[in-house]
Amino acid sequence: MSHVIKVTDLDKFFGRLHVLKKVNLEVEPTEVVCIIGRSGSGKSTLLRCINFLEEPSSGTIEVDSLVAAAGSKGPAHRQLVHDMRLKTGMVFQEFNLFPHMSVLENVMEGPVTVKKMERPQAANLAEMNLDRVGLLFKRDEYPNRLSGGQKQRVAIARALAMEPKVMLFDEPTSALDPELIGEVLNVMKKVAQEGMTMLVVTHEMGFAREVADRVVVMADGEIIEQDAPEALFKTPKDKRTQALIDRYRTGGQDPG
Amino acid sequence: MNLFKRETGEPKSQAELIYATQQRNERRFRANVGLSWGFLLLFLIFLFSGNQISIGGLTLNTIHLDGEFIRANWTFIAGGLWETLKISFFSIAFATVLALLAALGRLSTNPPIYALSTFYVSLIRGTPLYLQIFFFFLALPQLGIILSGTLAGVVALGLNYGAYMSEIFRAGLSSVGKGQREAAMAIGMTPGQTMRRIVLPQALRFAIPPTGNEFIAMTKDSALVSATGFVHELMWRATKVGRAQFNNLEALIMAAIFYWIMTLILTALQSRLEASLSKGDR
Repeated sequence: MSHVIKVTDLDKFFGRLHVLKKVNLEVEPTEVVCIIGRSGSGKSTLLRCINFLEEPSSGTIEVDSLVAAAGSKGPAHRQLVHDMRLKTGMVFQEFNLFPHMSVLENVMEGPVTVKKMERPQAANLAEMNLDRVGLLFKRDEYPNRLSGGQKQRVAIARALAMEPKVMLFDEPTSALDPELIGEVLNVMKKVAQEGMTMLVVTHEMGFAREVADRVVVMADGEIIEQDAPEALFKTPKDKRTQALIDRYRTGGQDPG
Repeated sequence: MNLFKRETGEPKSQAELIYATQQRNERRFRANVGLSWGFLLLFLIFLFSGNQISIGGLTLNTIHLDGEFIRANWTFIAGGLWETLKISFFSIAFATVLALLAALGRLSTNPPIYALSTFYVSLIRGTPLYLQIFFFFLALPQLGIILSGTLAGVVALGLNYGAYMSEIFRAGLSSVGKGQREAAMAIGMTPGQTMRRIVLPQALRFAIPPTGNEFIAMTKDSALVSATGFVHELMWRATKVGRAQFNNLEALIMAAIFYWIMTLILTALQSRLEASLSKGDR
């Protein structure tokens, strides 16, 4: 067994809208996979199905050898989903820090409330992870005193503090001012270099090219093509991939 | 325009000048409002001063109040302040719990719970508070349940305000974004933990200022409890001595003054609380 994530025949409907069509995807340990695609291509939905923030319509999700089938109900399934969420860390476009808690408390919250860790131990763990994202000096600030880039870095530390097997990033820089994108991408790059398995939905082609081991292209609810970034960006096979790359090439320089 | 140059020799930027003008206009407005309040208050006092004024051929009598009665009874009436505050405090505490439960029920996807919440709110809002107070005091004994006047009052006021305040808590709970719940779930929190640790603290902070307003309103609605005849709060004391000595005018004016002062103090405390909450860590 060599994969951390295995998505099999995943379908997702929003009402009559078919947003994911029999999607299959595997992610290997320490692999960094970037998912690119236009808005509405289903890339965020795919990511959100992996930790069941969206309930998939059919198919199975496997995370670190735990397998959950879509449409299951009952306490056993809820426990399974809970266990799978513990193995995945999620970073959101809108950061979603807890505004009523300090930076340190944000990062401690998961270990203390979910893992029942003693507070001093959790504080150590939180400080270590804040240090990883370079924000230990902000430990006692509240989120409203941070810039967008700093918020997102705290959100990354919060996810890392749960010591997940894989990190899911849902357009982590899309809500940021352009000058703040770099610091977040740098932290993500560092986390990748430390050996974290990562699945990243992004519009940052520069990041995908530099950091990803594999780039997955989605369009209309399907994976239309995937390859190592060099090959994919140089010789895309699908017209839609070509169009996507062209648009970003003309759209500005690559940060990171 | 030479108005501005008078103050200092240095030239001021246009923005500073505009700002200074705005500040001065605002100060002037507030000073005038304060002055007018003073006049209105003086006029009211004058109206009840018991003087006789002759202007030319016209003689004007202002209302005469029985000073002796006031001196003899004001401590007795003021003694009701404590009872009024006590009833209001317990009622608002009870109402807060009910309002929170009703709001949670209103947001529930469980049909019986949703129904219970909406049923309660509809029933209470569809009947008069006065009736509800009498119901708990006078009607329940027929079923063998005898509540003291104070307890009946607290139950009725609590149930009544709880129904109205459930909207406040519903708004508070709705003000916490979906992203907050998702972030909590993503780190593995159960729905219960998400509610307790993430949603409720934010919702309650949102709900504190309007709850303060409800408390202030409650101190005045608690006067209705005097109708039971067994709760010796402000209103009951005022009507008791007023009726006994045919001095209702003086007694009610005294009670009104006490209610008004109490409201002014509580409103001041309330705006302080609101200010300290708003500069917090939102």
